[in-house]
Amino acid sequence: MLKRSDDRLIAYLDGEVDASERREIEAWLDADPTARDKLAALAESAALVRSAFDEVMHEPVPERLIAAARGERPSAVPSAKILPFKRSGFPGHARAGRSWWFGVPLAASLFGLLLGGSAAYLSVAKLLPGALSGKQPGVEMAAADNLWLDNAAGYFKLAANAGDGALIDVPATSDPREALQKISQSVPQEVRLPDLKPWGLSFRGARLVVAEGRPAAQLVYTTDNKAIGPLTLIIGSSKEPDISPTLAHRQDVNLLYWRHQGRAYALVGQTDIGYLWGIANDVAWQLDAI
Amino acid sequence: MSLSQKLAGSPVHLIADSDPVTTRFGDQLIAVLPRLRRFARGLTGSAVEADDLVQAACERALARRHQFQEGTRFDSWMFRIVQTIWIDQVRSRDVRKEGGEIAEERLGSDEPVRRVEARLALQEVRRAVDRLPPDQRTALLLVTVDGLSYKEAAEVVRVPVGTIMSRLARARIALQQQLEAGGGMRRSIDNAEAQ
Repeated sequence: MLKRSDDRLIAYLDGEVDASERREIEAWLDADPTARDKLAALAESAALVRSAFDEVMHEPVPERLIAAARGERPSAVPSAKILPFKRSGFPGHARAGRSWWFGVPLAASLFGLLLGGSAAYLSVAKLLPGALSGKQPGVEMAAADNLWLDNAAGYFKLAANAGDGALIDVPATSDPREALQKISQSVPQEVRLPDLKPWGLSFRGARLVVAEGRPAAQLVYTTDNKAIGPLTLIIGSSKEPDISPTLAHRQDVNLLYWRHQGRAYALVGQTDIGYLWGIANDVAWQLDAI
Repeated sequence: MSLSQKLAGSPVHLIADSDPVTTRFGDQLIAVLPRLRRFARGLTGSAVEADDLVQAACERALARRHQFQEGTRFDSWMFRIVQTIWIDQVRSRDVRKEGGEIAEERLGSDEPVRRVEARLALQEVRRAVDRLPPDQRTALLLVTVDGLSYKEAAEVVRVPVGTIMSRLARARIALQQQLEAGGGMRRSIDNAEAQ
């Protein structure tokens, strides 16, 4: 049977009593050990209930729910448009030990290629009022998202297919800060390096890429654990509003991307979404990016 | 703060001048999905049914997004949609009566409330929540699990604040009694100690 004292104690625990009632209850608690025990039991059971459902918050959100939230059906998610980069297409693979300056022309040409693509997209949007530019802004934003995610998946494939011969503009040295300083000189904002060693991921180096039409850093991580790696993390600047972490797929590549305070992030790999989610959590924590 | 904590922690509002296009609306919806899933998991007691419920809520929200009032809490609006769909499902299955009977029987006990063991198996806690009547379960999930104020929870369920307070208190007391009375709880603890 519910006693009136029970609901008062519960309201007190929940911070739902006014100041005068709080004083009354605290005086009662001071004088009555049974009431104190009951309060402790109530607090403990509340914590247990929260814990019992806490694990749901750490699960990846199923793709079908993300699709439903976007008003899509899972089958309607755009198909992959991964750039056809192949290892054999780059006979002059730069080794990790090559110089930074050697990497600049390659990066610049890639940058120009992709920037050209972005510009073309924007021009078409402006020139065709009945087409893209005639749609609502959200539709354009979605199209732009698709473009940069296509590119992010392509950059990943480039790095993954190249293996040890991956194009690295700024190779990791004994002091990763040096690599980060160099790549930061070429992007609008300073780039910080998340330490993913607890996941068994080693930082190989950074590349200059394009995200949302701006220069961005692609951090390349590798691991012997084929269940996780390799992985790339793109950090770019963005003028778009913040967006919560969102999962996307491009063929066999998974992407978890989000925007926070003027920066765009995309964690890209072929690992399952559970790992991707966990690592993204770690990245967001370390970079204060959420 | 982790992504999950971020998603869990802050109330989500639609800004007044936001563009009501599907993408922007979807962003807001995605941000609140983990909390909706947790709420639905508590309501249904089933991972699959919970996600079905959340999916149905997303679809309904998108279809009725023009009904959302700017300046009000988006998360509360979504909680209400989830709760409404779930109540419809419960009524259609006549589960409400069964749950109420179980809970009232347990509420009849005058056993003193003892301290709940910290090592209580969480599965047992979820089962105990699942045995609560739907109204009480909803109040418990909104206030104790999701951290809404009594007023906010009352707005979600569309009942007076006093009703939420009463349902919540009954839920909290019933929960403790169930956990204390459950032989499974004792066995879970014993098993944990044996391991």
